[in-house]
Amino acid sequence: MPTVMELYQLLPKTNCKKCGESTCMAFSVALLSRKKKVSECTPILEESFKKQKEKLESLLLPTAGAEETGMIVHPELCTGCGNCVVACPVDVANDPHGAGTGCAPTNDKVIFKVMDGKVVAFNIKECRRFGKNRVLCYACIDPCPTGAIEFV
Amino acid sequence: MVTCTGCALLCEDIEVVLENGGIKESRNACRRGAARFRGCKNRLAPSVDKKQTDIDTAIKKAAEILKNAKSLMLFGWSNSTCEAQAKGIQLAKKLNAAIDDTSSFCQGLLIERVLQKKFRTCSLEDVRNRADVLVYWGSDAQDSQPRHLSRFSVFPRGESRQRGYEEDRLAIAIDVRESNTAKICKGHFYRIPLKGDREFILALMEALVGKVPKYDAKRMLELAGIMKKAEFGVIFAGIGLTYSIKDDIDILVSLADMLPNFHVMPMVGHYNMRGFNEALFKETGFVNRVKFGVKPVHDNKYAVVEALKSKSIDALLITGSDPLSSLPRSILSHLASIPVICIDPCVTLTSKIAAVTIPAAASGLECGGSAVRMDGKVIEISKVVENSYLTDAQILTRLMEGL
Amino acid sequence: MGMDVGKFMKNPEYEIKLTTHRDIFQVEALEYDRFGDEYKKHSAVVVMGKDDMNKFGLKTGDRVRLMNSFGSIVVELRESKREEPGGLAFMVNSPWSNALVSDETGGRGIPEFKNINAKISRTKDEITTIESLIDR
Repeated sequence: MPTVMELYQLLPKTNCKKCGESTCMAFSVALLSRKKKVSECTPILEESFKKQKEKLESLLLPTAGAEETGMIVHPELCTGCGNCVVACPVDVANDPHGAGTGCAPTNDKVIFKVMDGKVVAFNIKECRRFGKNRVLCYACIDPCPTGAIEFV
Repeated sequence: MVTCTGCALLCEDIEVVLENGGIKESRNACRRGAARFRGCKNRLAPSVDKKQTDIDTAIKKAAEILKNAKSLMLFGWSNSTCEAQAKGIQLAKKLNAAIDDTSSFCQGLLIERVLQKKFRTCSLEDVRNRADVLVYWGSDAQDSQPRHLSRFSVFPRGESRQRGYEEDRLAIAIDVRESNTAKICKGHFYRIPLKGDREFILALMEALVGKVPKYDAKRMLELAGIMKKAEFGVIFAGIGLTYSIKDDIDILVSLADMLPNFHVMPMVGHYNMRGFNEALFKETGFVNRVKFGVKPVHDNKYAVVEALKSKSIDALLITGSDPLSSLPRSILSHLASIPVICIDPCVTLTSKIAAVTIPAAASGLECGGSAVRMDGKVIEISKVVENSYLTDAQILTRLMEGL
Repeated sequence: MGMDVGKFMKNPEYEIKLTTHRDIFQVEALEYDRFGDEYKKHSAVVVMGKDDMNKFGLKTGDRVRLMNSFGSIVVELRESKREEPGGLAFMVNSPWSNALVSDETGGRGIPEFKNINAKISRTKDEITTIESLIDR
């Protein structure tokens, strides 16, 4: 996944506000969380920014296997430790006495479950990165030491 | 729900999907546990002098070796149930043999001090419910006890830790290597040089009494501040720490004495190492390295490493361990010159050179019983699949009958 | 094509310090088959920081001989994925690393599994097999 700074460096940096965001930095954050599309930046559509535009689009290209939230689980990197199962705020809210306390999930409303030693994602639409009120949540990525979960 | 014997966390919340009498898949177990449930590729067959035979012949030959040995050692035990360990200790008593387990070159030094109550310790449930400062010291739990952080320490919500790990808990790693556990501890990873733990402890002690330590003063004072302010702190002492301070292990006791709100928990790998230590401690007052006789004697010469190095034993019975794999090759030459009896579910390096091999049921899969979790809690382990293998305990009983 | 000078020159040896650790992927392989390729792939490896590798003129994928008075093994060299302060190389605890562990225990029963001194040199020899680690 690209960083906000990588995206920002490619923008015109004029803070023209035509995209509806207050600054180009705010627009890059919106790009990263997929609230905005590159084409919503009018200046970048000009010929002189062609290369930057292409680069931005390629950085934001959804990777194969990504769900609508952009979540990809790399089973070959996963150790099955379950840190994401327990740290995910949706899992805690939907299964407070199971996953929330560190135990195996007790219902099917959780996002993460460990199957055969590797994590599998379910109920993707419950993810805080999905839907109208989405937020840029890192709760499953931060506790993963092997980089097995990624959002693209 | 069944119990996982992948490590000494003994996770009791595992679901297994069965198919055709075998395990098709495990759920909730980590990668390590899942591998355990999948089982091994090469099952051990009964053999005498490297020739396959039936189990009765193998047991008979093993009993003969035990009977004829003048200086026998029984070793292994950390991968067996408490019931099997009790039989093992009984057999050692009956034969006036030496008995030692893998803790001898692992966490025995720390477990001994826990059982002697030299350390304040606590249960993993206490950690989940109360701990706010978690110090992983020479311990890469993420790789060795993979669900330690998620089930008990950093990530779960507990009684007085309801707000999640970002607010309620602080995880610290002290290690020579940026392990997977250290990665999670991000801003609180203290990298130390190899064998630098003693220096680090001394500097931390200085910082705790308000002196400016010689070594990395700023961060050391910061760490001391965090540890002093802890409401309920735990030092998870891994073998990285134990090996580094093995010649002066009591320095950790001194450090713990300066931290009234801290608890020490030895991080155990094999699922029932602590079980053996507790059983032998109860019987003899020592956790390992004991020889039975008129009375049990504890001596470093009964450590498996020293016994092999000094070539002082003339037969070795091994239950659920693979010394050829886990010990330095530089001390192993004696193994080739004495009769070795190997009781194990799977083919191991040691079973390849053993005089007698006796296949056993894999505990937690093919037989149940009880085991002691790394914090001392007794956990029931389950038989998951039907099978005809003898358990370690049954094999040891038959050996005793055959004497 | 130039002459393969390396063929005629003894590869230079360097002193290194090794430590060992655990790895969940290696343990997974161990549970299944300790004689298998997967276990060897995770065990017969030494990992070093980039700076140390440059200093010794070694690169990822090189086969290296690790040798001391207790043993000699051939393993694959890989570059650490992490920032390393240097001066220390890493192996996952296994029969390969145990081939290099000292027999000196001070009579106290615990070998220096995590504190190994060895010499490293590039080699064309094959990776040490587990079978050869049982042979004596």
